[in-house]
Parts: sequence; C-alpha cells; structure tokens
Amino acid sequence: MAVCIAVIAKENYPLFIRSVPTQNELKFHYTVHTSLDVVEEKISAVGKSLGDQRELYLGLLYPTEDYKVYGYVTNSKVKFVIVVDSSNTSLRDNEIRSMFRKLHNSFTDVMCNPFYNPGDPIQSKAFNGIVSGMMVQTG
Amino acid sequence: MKMSVPDYMQCAEDHQTVLVVVQPFGIVPEDHFFKIYKRIASVSQVSIRDSQRILYIRYRHHYLPENNEWGDFQTHRKVVGLIAITTCTSAKDWPQTAERFHGQKEVYSSTLYDSRCLVFGLQGEIAEQQRTDMAFYPSFDECSDVERRVEDFVESIFIVLESKRLDRATDKSGDKTPLLCVPFEKKDFVGLDTDSRHYKKRCQGRMRKHVGDLCLQAGMLQDALVHYHMAVELLRGVNDHLWLGAALEGLCSASVISHYPGGTGGKLLGRKPSISQTTDAGKRHRPGALTTNGISADTSTEIGRAKNCLSPEDIIEKYKEAISYYGKYKNAGVIELEACVKAVRVLAIQKRAREASEFLQNAVYINLGQLSEEEKIQRYSILSELYELIGFHRKSAFFKRVAAMQCVAPTIPEPGWRACYKLLLETLPGYSLSLDPKDFNKGTHRGWAAVQMRLLHELVYASRRMGNPGLSVRHLSFLLQTMLDFLSDQEKKEVTQSLENYSSKCPGGMEVITLSAELKLPPVPFTKLPIVRSVKLLNLPVSLRPHKVKGLLGQNVSTASPFIYSPIIMHSRGEERCKKIDFQWVQGDVCEVQLMVYNPMPYELRVENMGLLTSGVQFESLPAALSLPAESGLYPVTLVGVPRTAGNITVNGYHTSVFGVTSDCLLEDLPAVKTSGCLVEVIPSLPRLQLATSLPRSAHTPQPMSKEELSSSVSVQLFNGETQQLTITLENIGCEDIETLEVTSKVVNTKEKVFSNFLSWKLEEALSHLPLKPGLTVTLTVSIQVKLDFSGQENLLQDLNDDGISVTGLPICSPLRQVLKPRPETKPISNDSGKLEYSHIKTLEAVLNFKYSGGAGKVDGYYRELSLGVHVDVEPSVFFTRVNTLPATSTRQCHLLLDIFNPTEHELTVSANRSQDLVLHASECQRMAIQVDKFDFESLPQLDQETAHFTNPKQLEEERQHARGCQINSKLQICWSIPSLQRCGEASVEGALNQLVLEHLQLAPLQWDVLVNGKPCDSDLVADCKVGDAVTLEVKLTNLSKNPVGPLALTVMPFQDYQNGVQNYDLDKAVTFIGSETFFIDTVKPKESSTCNGALLFLYMGDYYLNIKFQDDNTRRELPLAWFTLPSVYIRALDTPLQAGA
Repeated sequence: MAVCIAVIAKENYPLFIRSVPTQNELKFHYTVHTSLDVVEEKISAVGKSLGDQRELYLGLLYPTEDYKVYGYVTNSKVKFVIVVDSSNTSLRDNEIRSMFRKLHNSFTDVMCNPFYNPGDPIQSKAFNGIVSGMMVQTG
Repeated sequence: MKMSVPDYMQCAEDHQTVLVVVQPFGIVPEDHFFKIYKRIASVSQVSIRDSQRILYIRYRHHYLPENNEWGDFQTHRKVVGLIAITTCTSAKDWPQTAERFHGQKEVYSSTLYDSRCLVFGLQGEIAEQQRTDMAFYPSFDECSDVERRVEDFVESIFIVLESKRLDRATDKSGDKTPLLCVPFEKKDFVGLDTDSRHYKKRCQGRMRKHVGDLCLQAGMLQDALVHYHMAVELLRGVNDHLWLGAALEGLCSASVISHYPGGTGGKLLGRKPSISQTTDAGKRHRPGALTTNGISADTSTEIGRAKNCLSPEDIIEKYKEAISYYGKYKNAGVIELEACVKAVRVLAIQKRAREASEFLQNAVYINLGQLSEEEKIQRYSILSELYELIGFHRKSAFFKRVAAMQCVAPTIPEPGWRACYKLLLETLPGYSLSLDPKDFNKGTHRGWAAVQMRLLHELVYASRRMGNPGLSVRHLSFLLQTMLDFLSDQEKKEVTQSLENYSSKCPGGMEVITLSAELKLPPVPFTKLPIVRSVKLLNLPVSLRPHKVKGLLGQNVSTASPFIYSPIIMHSRGEERCKKIDFQWVQGDVCEVQLMVYNPMPYELRVENMGLLTSGVQFESLPAALSLPAESGLYPVTLVGVPRTAGNITVNGYHTSVFGVTSDCLLEDLPAVKTSGCLVEVIPSLPRLQLATSLPRSAHTPQPMSKEELSSSVSVQLFNGETQQLTITLENIGCEDIETLEVTSKVVNTKEKVFSNFLSWKLEEALSHLPLKPGLTVTLTVSIQVKLDFSGQENLLQDLNDDGISVTGLPICSPLRQVLKPRPETKPISNDSGKLEYSHIKTLEAVLNFKYSGGAGKVDGYYRELSLGVHVDVEPSVFFTRVNTLPATSTRQCHLLLDIFNPTEHELTVSANRSQDLVLHASECQRMAIQVDKFDFESLPQLDQETAHFTNPKQLEEERQHARGCQINSKLQICWSIPSLQRCGEASVEGALNQLVLEHLQLAPLQWDVLVNGKPCDSDLVADCKVGDAVTLEVKLTNLSKNPVGPLALTVMPFQDYQNGVQNYDLDKAVTFIGSETFFIDTVKPKESSTCNGALLFLYMGDYYLNIKFQDDNTRRELPLAWFTLPSVYIRALDTPLQAGA
C-alpha cells in the first residue's frame, strides 16, 4: 500500500522514515523532504482561516509521476507523510485517512512511553509494527 | 517546425513589448558591445508623442530565427527591430560593412519593421552623410546620443506598428482574411477548403487574436481585451485549440498588465518603473489606471475594464485552460512551458503558492524532446528559482541540486565541476544547512540529516574534482563534525579515510576559506573528535605548591572586606570567584590540565599534537599525542605546559590534530564541557628541592596525610632505645637559588607516649651553605631516637608477676610471635580476645617539613614545602617489669631493684652505670640491683608559671614525672646491646616508675649531716677514734623544704650491736657524754641550716653505734617521717697504742 512512511518533527527533521527496501531510500528522503514545502504552505494557509479547528489530514500534497504524497499534521506540528504508488488507483481518500489515524494513535503511544525522549528518533517496536502493517498490505 | 528553446524569463508583461535584436557584426570587442547594449537596453519604454501611449521594448542580443517564425502566433515573439553594431575604421571598408548589415537584416527580413546600424570608428565623408538607418560614432567612448537615436528608432517602429494595427483592425470587410498559422501547421492546411464557414471563422478568430496582440503592443490595453474576448468566442466555436489557448493567454496577459502595473517578473525583466513614474507621470495615460484623485480620467474605459478585464481568479482559470489547450500539441511545448512560467509568476504575486506549485509540477513534465545538457541545466535552474519565488525552498534546493548534477553528467565531455560546486552551495539554505559549525553546537540537530549528508558528500566530491583539496578537507571536516551522530560505522570509516587522504595533500587548518564576498567557510574545529567532557586545571604536586607567607596574606584579607565572614556573596565578586581557581601555578614549572575525553568513533582515534590554548601569560605548551581506543568511555588526558611569565593565565581551550586537520577548540563554544574555572594565577618562579635519604624508602604513609602530601618517606626498624642517624641530602634541582631553609618536625598518628626527642638535628651546618645554587647539594643529619614505654605489656609476662624472677621460656601469646615462631604448646587465647590483634611492634611516625624559598617568588612572599615521612617500627628491647627500692645504708643512697625482661629473640646484655654487664637470654627476666644516690628532684627547674597556669594539674604532674624520669635515666645510664645484631641502645625506666619508688628515690628535704671529729659520717663509713679522747659530734640540719622546721630536740643513744640480734643499749660505763646527751636545734628557715655540737668520750675499745632520735613532739607530725631519719653513726674506738703502733 504505502511505499514510504515518515514522521517528521516540529523542527522538520525526520523522527522516523521507512520505505520499501527494494528502492533507493535516498529518493524517498528527497520526496518527503520536498513535500514539507507543501505541508508548510498548507499549514500556514489553514492557520489563517480556520484557527484552532484545523483538519489534521492535509490530503494529497503533490502527485509525482510515480507516487502520490499525502500529509497529516498533528496539533503539535509533528508531520506524518505517506507516499503511495501512483498506480494504486484503488486507494480511497478514506483509507489514507484511516492510515494516518492509526499512525497518529501509535505515535501517541510512543510519546506516552516515559523512556522516550521527545525529539529522538523513534525506535519503538510497536510503532514499527504498525508501519510495517501499512506497508505490506499491498502484497 | 517547432520552437525548441524556451525563454524561461518570460512573464505576462512581455506580451506588450516589441522585440528588438541588438547584434554585433564585424570586429566588435565583447566588452564594448555589452556596454553599448546596456545603454540601448536602458531605453526599455518610450512614450509616444501625441498619443499618450507607451511602447515597451524587449532587447535581445541573440534570438533564434525559428522562434521568430512563431511571430504571427504571438507578436511579441516577432523580431521587429534590429540594431546592428559594428566597427569600420576606413572608408575603404565601408561598402563591405554596409553589405554585411544588409545580410544581417535578411535573417529577420520577414518580420522586421525597421533597423539601425551603429557604426563605430568611421570618420570623414561617409560619416557625415545623414542616413536614418545609420549612425556614425568616432569611437565607443564618444557616442552620447545613442539613447536618443534608439528612441527615434523605437518611435519609427511604433509608427509601423500602429499602421499595421490600424490596417488589420479595419481590415474586416476585406476580400479575404488570410489564415495566420504557426510553422508546424502549414502543411496541415494544404488542400483545405478555404471557402467553408469553418475556415473563415478560424481565419477571423486568429486575426482577432493577432489584432489583440498588436493592440497590446501598441499600448491599447482595452482594445486588446475586447479583441481577445472576440477571438476567444470565435476560436472556441471552431475548436481551434492552439489559437484558442493563445487568445486566452493574451487575455490573461492583458488582465495581468492591468491588475499588476508593478510587473510580475520582478527585477529579472530589467524594467525601470521609476522612469515611467517620474518622466511619464503627467502625460502618460494608461487605460484603466487611476489618476491621483482616485477617479478614472475616462469613465468609458473604466466600464470597459470592468467588463473585459479578468478577475485575479479568472486569470488563473484561463491560464489553466490555455495550458491545457497547448498541451494538446506536442510541438507547442515551449509555448506551454512559457505559459506555465508566466502563470507561476502571476501566482507568486498573488501569493498562491500551492497552485503555483501545481503549474510548476506540470511544467516539469512538459517534454521538449531532446534537450542539450546546457538547456537541461537552465531548465532545472529556472525551476529552482521559481520554486524559490513561491517559497518552496526545499523544492527549489532539490532542483538546484539536480541542475548541479546535470553540470557534471557523464555525457558532458568537459564536466563543469566549478559550476556544479557553485550551484550546490546555493542549495545550502534550502536544506537548512549552514557551513558554520557553530550553528550546530547548540541544541538539537537542525534539518534533514540524510539529505544534508548527501549534499555534503557531493560538495566534497565536487570540490575535489575542482582541484581544491583544501575545500574538500573543510567540507569533510564539517561533515564529520556535524553529522557524526548520523553516520554509520562504515560511513565513519570511509569519511575519515578520505579525509586522511585529502589532508595528506592539503592539511586542514583553522583559517577561514573565502569563496566569495558573502560566502566564507569558517573553520571547523573537531570538538567531537575526541569529545571533551570536562576540563580541570590541576594543582601542582604538594611538594611544589607555593605557600604564601602568612603575614602578607592577612593584609590582603583585611583590605578585601571589613568583615571576617559574611554570608552575602556580592555578585560581582561571586562571578570572579567562580572563575578564578584558588591555587597558584609557578612560573617555570610544569602545570597540568586534565581533560576527560571520549572517543565516539568505532575504531582507534589517534590525536596528535594535543595542547592547550591559553592567554594572559606567555605559556609554552607541551603537546601530547594520544591514541584513544574505540568508543573508549571517559578517558583522562593530561595536557601540560610551562608558564614562562607570571600573571593570570586563562585556559581558553585546546588544540588537536586529527586526521591531518588541526583544530582550535575554544571552551566558550563548548557549553557541554564541565569546568571548574579556567583562570589561575601564575606566581614568579621558586626554587625546587629534591631530597634523598640514607635510609631506604618506604610505602608507608602516616594516616592523616595523603600519599601525595609527602614527597617521600623512609622507614626503619629500631629496637626501643636505639638511635639511628638519617642523612638527608637536599639538592637544588630548580633554576633559582635557595635562600632560606627551615626544618620542622611533627609526630603524627601515635597514641604512644614518646620519651625524649624523637627527631633531632643541627641545622646550622646546612644553613651555612645557603644560598644554594642550582645543582648543588647540602646534607642534613637527623638522629632518630626511639624511647617508648613497653612496660605496660603485662600480657607478655602473664606468669611473670607470680614468681617475679628468672622466668625463662615463658609462652608469649602474641599473634605475631606465633607466626614468627610457631609453637605447638601455645596457649589458647580464648579469654583474651580483646588483645587478639595486638602486635608488640609499635610504630612511630613523624613528618619532617622543609620550608624553602628563593628567587622572585620569595620577593612576593611565597615559599615551598617538602615533607619527608619517617616511619619507625619499634620493637621492644629490654623493659622493666617491676621496679623496687631498698634502702641503702646511707640515707643519701638507695638500692634500685629492676626486673629486666628481654622480649627479643636474641641474647642481650644490659649494663648500668656502675655495675657490670648482665646477660639476658631470649625472653628471660632477671633482677638487677643498682645502688644509686638519691635524687634531689626539687632542684629540677620548675615549669614556667605561665605554662603551668594553662595546663591542668594532671598534665603538670605528668610533666614533672617525666622530668624526674629523665633525671633518673641519665643517672642510671642503663644500656643494652645485642651482640649478635650489633645493635645497642638505651633503656629507660621511666615507664616503670611509680609514686612509691619515686618517693623512695627522693632526697628528703631536711638534710642531716653528722660529723664525727669534723668528718662526715654516714652509714657504712666507720669513724675511728681513740679511747679516752673526746669525740666531737656535730649535727647539721639543712632545710631545703619550703617551710621553717623546728625547734627540734635530738637524743643520741649509743649502742653496741652484737651481730646476733642483740643490741646493748646499757653502755653507761663505756660511753660518757661530755655535756648534754640531748641536742637542741632552733627553728630553721627554708634554705638555711643550723648546727648543734656535742662530744662523746669512749672509755673502752669497741664498735659503737649512735642512734640519733627525736624526742617525741607533736608539732612535727605534719612532716613525713622519712625526712627525719638521720644517718646512724658507726664509730670504732681504738686503743691509743694501737694507733701509735699503726
């Protein structure tokens, strides 16, 4: 389903990034990194108009030839980015939303861990498991 | 034919410009050409006389003829003017030059409205002729009216343009509207029915659009809008998509011009708004623009604008539509791309970044066919710039990087590493990467490490290929320093290997590398290789520490504050205090700073030339090289150096050389480093003393002192009472003269009572050698004398008290003894567990302190101290288990009975003052009797009244007892020697003395002297006299007590002792008194004496004794009886003839 899932800190550095192993990992780094431009643009645009009642799900950030990049921003400005294959047309917006929600829940669990330092790379096994689940579903 | 080269600089306003090509031909130096070109280009807008309109001009010095062929499609693409620049030095060349000018015109002949030729260097006849299409200038420097000429030229273009516009606009009824088409369409229309309505409408639509273009160029914005609207209607009807797109784009352009008079292209376009505002403000009338009072001058145009002009949202919609139409034609790629660019610029003005990014995204995928590498670079660069424009810095950086990579694509025969490097540097802000390591010191890492690392790797590679290893080293250092946490072990290894490689060619240093005026590469100190956790300035070793002379210190304190102690710490001083360390370093002596370092690398780290960075005084740093094992954990490193001058020194940091890169790491940049202050005072130089002893060194350290407080320590084993000479050699190993030397000693850590001086020395000899020059030595002899009291050790002699004398082979229950001499029959020590750990060896420890000073440090009131620990294990020699006295015959003497025990394992001889040697076998006890004179303890010097006042009575008594003991010892002079070991020493009875013995040994304060015939007579001494002669008897009382004594009455009672227990007192017939038999003595005051005389007459020969007794008197009872014992007198009365015979 997803080919790359990333969690990005408020200060815009990656807390977690995982991509399908077959592909060039750096490419996804660049894809996710550049998608932050759009995320920032979207946040700033939304911030002005809606105030606090913000939709966390940002929707499609940008389509590229091969991938679609979706974004999600928590209230603490932690960003989730999911990259999916463009060829996967069956994927609905709702499914992406639920993936983000799952990701957010798992991330919240990570943050609740008293041994986790906010700002450190995420190494939680549970979180990793959730991410793996989202990435293998394609089959 | 398709247009292949897009103009990425295009913006919507370009639609209203006319294109003029400025070209050189012949020999025109490039710099001169561009100078002229610039002057020409400054005429970017010209207001036309009489028409209140402005003509905008776009200049190009290079324009492809293929692009020109699209001129009918969008007239701003059409070259309408040509300005040729040439040189011509002689009239002879002129025809040829003119010919070439015509040739130049030919290229664009189909579209050209007018042309000019600027000829430089020609003078004379030809130059004087007035030609409109030629201008002659003597040189490139003398051409003041170029601008005016260009304006004239532009006006002439305007006239043509205006005529064409009018021509086309009014050409409605005309016979047949020609079909305008783009180059690639031409073949499609061959054989098309030209009479169909469809075709006609198409022709009309295209012509409308064309007229719209012309109107826009001619400055008639409203007309243009109207024409475009009509064209859109017409073309939509016939599905002429390409041209419909163009019409829509024209509509957009016109609307943009109307909405954003400031322009969308930014400064890229090079237009000068200031000119238009100042020079044209009055006469210029721009349709739709508001006048100063806010009301449009022409209400009809205002209405027209409202009707025809697109709203900002519509502009984007129409752009989208236009682009989608362009997209249908493969050959219109350039048009589509340019439209995208224009739309993005408009969106950037509207601050609609996200939609702009969609346009850009589309532009990325427009396929322009085979592009040259240069074109690719240009395309990526412009994409990057546009992304930057809409605030997408990351995307911008991404494309810039792609452009940089394109510069060195493997297909390029000569890769442009320099250009690549320059472009890569421009991407740095997009990756939030600055090349200043200080930005990474604070807080968490900023930015996306993975892509930053990639970029740094590329910078390193590019700079290396550029042939600048210095840059590579700097970038690699930066990579290693800032990205260390993100590098894998393998990467760390690779990076350091290549760093070592590069730095071998060009060692890295601390200088700033200047790339350009605004970009400088600051130095990268390796503060993480190794990581320093703490910096601690170390005090000098105890023996080298300077001490301040007390008196001077006191002055300092008193000036600092009027209070001895105050809990309030003033802030200003508190700050100073926390920085300054409260010990001193000494000029010329090696000082140490301890760093706790940590190697974060997965392999051994070699740090070379690690030293201190200091300020304040001249400091000679002695660099160290170290090798830290992989992931070492905290590792102490001591950096040393020698201050060469006195003053306050500050340790600012340290320098290292790792992988061939030298770094200066300043502590102020390392907030994570713990330090207890870095400022320390360096005092002027002091001498240094080294100490050597004749005795072996020992590891023993007196308990209350730490090991380092002693510079050395000696240890010796002595038997109690033994004396050992210790020779101390003092050598001046410093550079200063030793001017003063003081020696003191202190006995430490002893519960034992020490008799006599433990350590004694004579310093005068040594002092006579001062001042001691460097390298010279002086010796000092110290005698160690041990006198301890072992007598209390009853456990050694548990059976001894029973029979007292001559106990041999008694079992000794000391654990030590058991080890030394295990005996099967040893008694169990069950009942005596408290003494289980008892060792009969006692230890004595003392510290000898040498205070010395000299040189400049002495002037400042400093001295040094060297201490020598003396450790003595004292084994018991002889000791006295019991002391008793027996009265001697003389009252002035008595017998001292000493039970002497030999606890050693050796045969021992003891000798006293006047008696012969006594041989004692191991663990043997024998009694020794010594006849001693009684002691006059009162004659001992009394303690000072002062000291006596302060010490308590008990101490006073001890003191007194000690003095008595000394006196007794010196009198007795009991010596022992162990012949087998050749050791000898003194034995002291002091510990064995008790009050009773002392009383017995004390001379009574009332001294009685009995003189017989004028001769003193005492005890055994026999006084001879003749029978019949009167014997004078004189009794003298000397009062040494404090109180007056007397009066006293004495009775003399003669008797004879038959030596069988019978004493005959009935001697009336044998002895007769001459005078009274009773003597009277008056009161004797202290220190006085009194005598009384009597006489006796012995009638028969014989041995007589005189017993002098007191007549009983109650008043005398207060004084002890012992004081009133008079010596008995033994008189032998001899016959006279016997004496005569003798």
